[in-house]
Amino acid sequence: MKRLLLVIVMALIAASCGGDGGIEIDDPWARSSARMQNAGAVYMTITADDGDTLTGVAVDSSVAMMAELHETQMSDEGTMAMQEVPNMAVPADGELNLEPGGFHIMLMQLAEPLESGDTFPVTLTFENAGEVVVDVEVREE
Amino acid sequence: MLTRPSTPRVLPLLIALATAAIVLSACGDSIPAEPAGILRDPAPVVGDVELPDASNGGVTFATRAQDDHVLLVYFGFTSCPDVCPTTLADVRRAVRELDEGLAARVDLAVITVDPDRDDAATLTAYAQTWVPGAHALRTDDPAALRAAADAYGADYAIQTNDEGDIEVGHTAFLYAVDSAGRIRLTWPFGTPHEDLTSDMEYLFNEGV
Ligand SMILES: [Cu+2]
Repeated sequence: MKRLLLVIVMALIAASCGGDGGIEIDDPWARSSARMQNAGAVYMTITADDGDTLTGVAVDSSVAMMAELHETQMSDEGTMAMQEVPNMAVPADGELNLEPGGFHIMLMQLAEPLESGDTFPVTLTFENAGEVVVDVEVREE
Repeated sequence: MLTRPSTPRVLPLLIALATAAIVLSACGDSIPAEPAGILRDPAPVVGDVELPDASNGGVTFATRAQDDHVLLVYFGFTSCPDVCPTTLADVRRAVRELDEGLAARVDLAVITVDPDRDDAATLTAYAQTWVPGAHALRTDDPAALRAAADAYGADYAIQTNDEGDIEVGHTAFLYAVDSAGRIRLTWPFGTPHEDLTSDMEYLFNEGV
C-alpha cells in the first residue's frame, strides 16, 4: 500500500512538473474550423525554467499537410497579416504566449475539419529541451 | 512523452473574479450609456456599396441592414486561420448571447479580400458557419472591391512572398451598419464578445 502511494505521488509530481527540460505547456488549444476553412491555428502558453527557444513544429499528415511557426502583426497602415518566423523565445523569467492575433502555430491544408472535442498531438522542438509532444484540444473558443 | 496541460494556480482566482464581475454587472443596467466600439462622426455611409452575394446566386447586395436589423460587415478571407476566426467566433458567441428576439435581427456579411482563392461555395459555407443565413460578398472586379473597402475606410493587400506563399493583409475591423446604410459602430480586433453583445443591445436600444 505504501509503495502504491509512493508510485501515485511520484506520478503526480512527474505530471505536474512536465519533465522535459523544465518546459511547461499550458492549455494547448485550437479553434474548431469553420466550414471550408482549410487552415488552422494552435495556441498555448509555454514556460521554461532556464529559458529556451522554440525552433520548430510538426504535426502528423492526418491533421495537416504542414505546420509552421507564425506571427500575426499589425502594419503601420492598420492591416493585420501573418508571417512565418524562424523561432520564438521562451524567456527564463516569463512565458511565451501563443494567442489569437499574435504568435501561433499555423496548420496548413487541414486533412479534415477540426471539430470541438477532438485532440491531436503536436511535436514542438526546443533548442535545449529537444522534442516535446503536446496534446492539443479543439474547441469553439 | 506527453506533457500534460497543467492548471495554473491563478485559475480559481480568475474564475472567482469573473463570476463576481458577472454578478455585479447583472445588478446594474446591462445596456451601457456609451458603447465599447468606436463611434465615427460623421458616420460613414456604406448603404450604396453593392457587391454580388455568392450566398444568393450572385444577386447584388447593398451593405445596408433591413428595417430594424443590424448588419455586421467583415472584410476577411477563408484561408485566414488566426485573425478572422477569432473575430467571427466572437460574433457568433455575441449573437448567441443576445435575447432571441434581438439575435434574429442581426445579420452578417463577409466580404472576401481574396476572391481568387475563395470561390462562391467556399465563401458561403464559411460565412454561414458564424451566423446562419450570412451573406457572402465576392467580386472578381478589383475596382469594385477596392471601392467597397474605401467606403468603409478598410484596406487590404495580397502579396506573394519569396517562397511563393500568398500573404494577405487586411483591416481586421468589424462594422455595424444600420438600415439607413450608416456605419454606427466600428470594433477593433480583439474586442471582447461581451462588448459586442452589449453594443448591439445599445444599438437596438438607440434605434436602428
Ligand atoms: Cu498563420
